[in-house]
Amino acid sequence: MDASPTEAAQVVNGHGQAQVVPAEELTRLTYAVRDLPAHAVQDLLSVGCDTGMCPVWCIFRLFGVHECICSCSLMPQSTLCSILAKSMDLEGDTMVNGVRAHEDSSSVHSYQEPDLVAKCCIICLGILQFVYIDHQESLVKTDCPYNFALTIADVVKQQSYQLDNFSLEVSLPPIVTENEQAVWLYMKRKHASELWYQEKFISERILTKDVLKLCITKPLETLLGVKAGVSSSRIRLTYTHLDTSVKVQNTAEANQSNKKRKTGMLILLCQPHTLYLQCDISDCLKSLSEKVNQPCLLALLCNRSPIYIGGRYLKYSRNVSQSRWIVDDERIGEASVEEIIGSNILPFCRGDNYKFHAAGREDIDVKVKNLKVLGSQGWALMHEGEAEKQVYFSLCRQAAIFENLYGPFLLYFLQKQYAALVWIPRSLKDDDVQTISLLKDMAILQRTPIRVLHRRSPLEREKIIHWMKVERVAGSSQYFLLHLCTQVGYDLFFLFA
Amino acid sequence: MELQNADDTAHNTAENHQPAVSISAEQQQQDDNSKARIEAIPAEDEDEDEDEEEVLRRLLAPDVANLPPAPPSAVESNFITYFAPDFIKPGHDQYVHRHANGLCVIGLASGHVAFKENGGVTSVDFNVGKSDRSGIKVTGKRKRNAQHFEPNTALCKVFSNDAYYIVRCCVKGSLLEVNESLIKQPKLLNSSAEREGYVAIIMPKPTDWLKAKASLLSSEEYKNLRDAS
Repeated sequence: MDASPTEAAQVVNGHGQAQVVPAEELTRLTYAVRDLPAHAVQDLLSVGCDTGMCPVWCIFRLFGVHECICSCSLMPQSTLCSILAKSMDLEGDTMVNGVRAHEDSSSVHSYQEPDLVAKCCIICLGILQFVYIDHQESLVKTDCPYNFALTIADVVKQQSYQLDNFSLEVSLPPIVTENEQAVWLYMKRKHASELWYQEKFISERILTKDVLKLCITKPLETLLGVKAGVSSSRIRLTYTHLDTSVKVQNTAEANQSNKKRKTGMLILLCQPHTLYLQCDISDCLKSLSEKVNQPCLLALLCNRSPIYIGGRYLKYSRNVSQSRWIVDDERIGEASVEEIIGSNILPFCRGDNYKFHAAGREDIDVKVKNLKVLGSQGWALMHEGEAEKQVYFSLCRQAAIFENLYGPFLLYFLQKQYAALVWIPRSLKDDDVQTISLLKDMAILQRTPIRVLHRRSPLEREKIIHWMKVERVAGSSQYFLLHLCTQVGYDLFFLFA
Repeated sequence: MELQNADDTAHNTAENHQPAVSISAEQQQQDDNSKARIEAIPAEDEDEDEDEEEVLRRLLAPDVANLPPAPPSAVESNFITYFAPDFIKPGHDQYVHRHANGLCVIGLASGHVAFKENGGVTSVDFNVGKSDRSGIKVTGKRKRNAQHFEPNTALCKVFSNDAYYIVRCCVKGSLLEVNESLIKQPKLLNSSAEREGYVAIIMPKPTDWLKAKASLLSSEEYKNLRDAS
């Protein structure tokens, strides 16, 4: 009945494994395994033998053996199989149940055959055996979680990611969940009345996805030298099952009984408890065994959430627009601030792409029009005036409030300063200069300009012009520079639209 | 430089008081740092204020020699103008200013018969029998309440001293707005029919526009037509 540490170690040596597994871990594991309800495990194994159920990891997780999953990342499948088999075998001997003893011996027998170990599990489709098809469509077998983690870490390092921490994401094909449901159903029907089932099984069984995370997170942390947790850097393992889609299609075309089973399983997913009774046990496991248990295709993707870079710029050229400006496939302007900044930052950060969020408006070519003055004659001067304008941000008079909104921050500049080159049909008089400079905090009503009317609501919006200043242009009486300081709203620049 | 260093760089940048780049992280814990950086910026600006102002002044100052004596008007540079001469009735010349975004501004062309009358236009009435065109308020970016009109739908009646003329859409599309200032200031039509004296703004569908465009004359063609007659 006792499986001493030395015995366990011998098992390891007996299989010729050179892996260094601490003896105490083996002991712990052995004890943990021995605590499992032997007859249930044996029963499951006996079914699994015929159909190719994942021998170790699925058993562990179905019975909720957390410690094993966390600690035995270095142990090869075969070792775990032996421990399980040995433990079960020993206990089986103590039981006076011929049938079970017989099943035991068969399962022990099977585990000594390495090719059976490698056979793809019908529940997890090899995911917990760390068997998968890589992107080059070749079958990859790793014998323990550590080695699997090693391949992941290699890929991450190859892509020269440097991480502060990482979060692991696993995506499994739906068929795995379906299989899980079927096994749970089977267990429930068979062992629902037993004490261990009520006490432990329901609460402690672990999902395939969680097992995979549990057993490779630790090794990954060691290999990458950073901690796992909530992080902007993500390592994503996407398992897809190629045969599933084919199978589903086939099922749909095939006979009705197949169809029924399929829908039965699907409804089961939605309402497992109510439908347990309607489904036959043998049907569940039969459906599992009928499925093509091919390993899944694994796609490994590393990415990180976007980095937000905020800043201000002064644009000294009119030939450069703010964002890329293309009209009818024809480029306008030499370059854009968006591209100039983006093309420098992108290789620097090695991102896939970049997005430019402009705060504030700026136009290559803006005109005064659509303007209505509230209680002031000062704008009569501007009314007719139009010319090209250069607009710029005031560097020093901005009050910026950063807000965290849906990830990217937003910038609110409360005041903005512009300079406009204005032309008026008559000569500029000193009176005009005086009149304009006296206007303070003038409220204006502005209708949605035609320029943007196609995509904005037609409204009149009130804006405030804090002050204006005329700067004469040498050599011209009709051109002048108008400096404006205005309230900035979401659409301030409509002043010049 | 690697990904993980991005945030470090942000801190360095802020400490060095270099303008232009500060990096905000989406993490909550970064908030305090962000605020600190923002507060740091105005101080740095004051030092460079003089230089910046000077540079800006130089850059903004235009060279009069390079400027045209009179720049093109907003209408000229933002719109392409088409004409519908003798629309439905002889002498009813209308223009269509088409913006690059597809909107069409409808108005009376300079050759319209109403302007040839003594005193020109005296009043404008948007009440054209069935409904008052100025009474319908289009709202929202989806342009709720916008009425869909055919090219020959009447927009308003323009009165002169002894007659009235019906102004029509010319283009099939949704009526976004009419120029309500014409009700109080009908003289805008006489002084600047091309600009403040527009009658309405219509949003045609792209396909409808192509059909309408085929029936309209370009500025050049209209000029030739009116010069000849």
